[in-house]
Amino acid sequence: MRREGSAFQGLGTVVLKELSDQMSSIRIFVLELLVVALAVVSVALAIRQLGLTTAEDPFLLLRLFTVDNPPLPSFAGMLGFLIPLVAIGLGFDAISSEHNRRTLSRVLAQPIYRDALLMGKFLAGMATLGIMLLAMWLLVVGAGLFMLGVPPNGDEILRSLVFLLIALCYCGVWLAFAMLLSIVFRSAATAALIALGVWLFFVFIWPSLASVLAQVISPPDVRYVLLGLPTPGTIEMQQTLARFSPNQLFAEAVLAILSPSTRALGPIYLEQLQGAVMGTALPLQQSLLIAWPQIVGLIASTIVLFVAGYVVFQRQEVRA
Amino acid sequence: MRARLLAIVSAFLCVASAAWGADRPDVKGLYLLADYPAVSVQPGTTANIPIKLQNYGVAPERLQLSVTGVPTGWTATLLGGGQPVAAAMPATDGGVSLELRLDVPSNAGSGTQTLSVEAKGEGHTVTLPIAVTLAQQLPAKLKVDTALPALRGTSKSSFEYQLTIKNDSGRNLTVSFAAQAPKNFETSFTEAYGSQELSSVAIEAGKSKDVKLKVRPPSTVDAGTYPVSVTVSAEGATAKTDVSLEIIGQPRLTISGRDGLLSMRAEAGQQATFPVIISNSGSAPADDVELSGSAPSGWKVEFNPKTIAKIEAGKDAEAQALITPTEKSLAGDYQTTLRASSRGETASSQVRVQVVTSTVWGIAGVGIIAAALLIMVGAVVRFGRR
Repeated sequence: MRREGSAFQGLGTVVLKELSDQMSSIRIFVLELLVVALAVVSVALAIRQLGLTTAEDPFLLLRLFTVDNPPLPSFAGMLGFLIPLVAIGLGFDAISSEHNRRTLSRVLAQPIYRDALLMGKFLAGMATLGIMLLAMWLLVVGAGLFMLGVPPNGDEILRSLVFLLIALCYCGVWLAFAMLLSIVFRSAATAALIALGVWLFFVFIWPSLASVLAQVISPPDVRYVLLGLPTPGTIEMQQTLARFSPNQLFAEAVLAILSPSTRALGPIYLEQLQGAVMGTALPLQQSLLIAWPQIVGLIASTIVLFVAGYVVFQRQEVRA
Repeated sequence: MRARLLAIVSAFLCVASAAWGADRPDVKGLYLLADYPAVSVQPGTTANIPIKLQNYGVAPERLQLSVTGVPTGWTATLLGGGQPVAAAMPATDGGVSLELRLDVPSNAGSGTQTLSVEAKGEGHTVTLPIAVTLAQQLPAKLKVDTALPALRGTSKSSFEYQLTIKNDSGRNLTVSFAAQAPKNFETSFTEAYGSQELSSVAIEAGKSKDVKLKVRPPSTVDAGTYPVSVTVSAEGATAKTDVSLEIIGQPRLTISGRDGLLSMRAEAGQQATFPVIISNSGSAPADDVELSGSAPSGWKVEFNPKTIAKIEAGKDAEAQALITPTEKSLAGDYQTTLRASSRGETASSQVRVQVVTSTVWGIAGVGIIAAALLIMVGAVVRFGRR
């Protein structure tokens, strides 16, 4: 039976309602407080470190995002770690809570399609994350301007905005994943546990597992081992495996965008460096081309995860 | 017995004295001798005239010495053994060397004065007249010669002239030299076989010395003949000689991009064209200018045309450098060197090549996203329900 009208009728209403729910939710407030507090600490440490060590640098603002300040990781590294947490927090009970509160059938009794409901919840989550990221970005740029006293140039602003967009895509992957789990599992606790489990798996286990698997799939060449060198094939395999993790994709894309002198993300052969002028900044377009596969990976997996959730949701039976 | 012995000795002595007298001129008496009894002296100087008081077969006797006829203002002193003496006593058949020192004042004028040196004893009086001519001394005289006065070379070569300086005067001289060369020519004098630079050299009277003149033209000099004059001088005497250097023209090449641009963009694996201008700022045409380039391994650098037959002095020629980075080149800047060479002359410049990577994969990425969106639309169409 064909439906009448747009599939996204009522989308705006859902988005606004969800957004207002999330903004007033204690859970989101605590999560955002945590992330913003860590971001402030990280930026403060970065500024102190830059004031101590950095000489003239054409990309001083970008260094705020990338400089390591032990014991904490850099600002970008911190985001890579924390964004999944917030996104899971936003999405793990998106649909199951409606089921459990028995409000789903009431909502769907309104002239709102399931499409619009799911899309609205997703977009509202993205908007919340986007607002959080934008606030943090403004915080960093403002603190940089205030504490370092160096006005950022156009390229820096553009690159940091691209970084913001990449972070948003990364949010999308985890949000779509969390929503998929909230559709599949009726129990919010199960969904949350599985989501956090996957997150921990990608953060802590997958990097070392990828290296072990690469050794098995593409064993190191004896000739390289005798010379104490890594085998190119093994390294490439390890990198390919590691890139199944969205965290890895995010980290690589951020590296290419925020460190303008990054010329490649894979292993580099010595012959490729012959005659190269080191340390020169690439134009933004070239940096984007380097990071593009990673960005595409993030966007495409967001869509695929969302579609999977959509298909499952459409086939579910909703009873009052 | 004793008388007989004396007789023999005296006879022997007679024979000996007869033999002695035979190979000597039969001169007897006291004499005052001088090698040059007439000398010329420069006013304001001191002259030493050697004199000898000789005794030939006369019994030794104390002889009082004196100089008479000394003009006023002059000082005449007789020296014996370096000290002023007033008397001498030569042994029989012996001589005493004396020296007459004359201090001639500078206002002595000219002409000839005759002084007399007198030795006066009990029985003898000897006199030696000495004529002193007041005369200006011979002026210093120098001569400078070179065997090879004209040399030929390029503006980059160094021209070396062998100079022979002769001191033709009667005194030892310290000769200084100077060279007048066109502006910005560098000149230096060195020893004939050495590298030490000199400004003057001591030459004994009548001797000559070899020195080397090195001329280094400025590297920007035009072709042509340039004169260099060498002046040697000492105590008012000068001598001059002229040498010349003929500079033959030389091409001087420079290579750069159009409008001096030395950077370009090239896509990895794709040929990029970079127009280069080869200009000859030298003074002679450059023939058979070969173009070459060096770049990171795996890159291709070609030129169109590969060689330029001739570039006139002061003219430019244009060529195209075709640079192909390897497929594997990373995005970013690389350094390459472009070279032009004509015989000995070469020019090179470094060109920075910004390698950009192909956007084909970027478009492929967009395709992947589009495919994902298509799946979503398909899902919406397929699973959308009332």
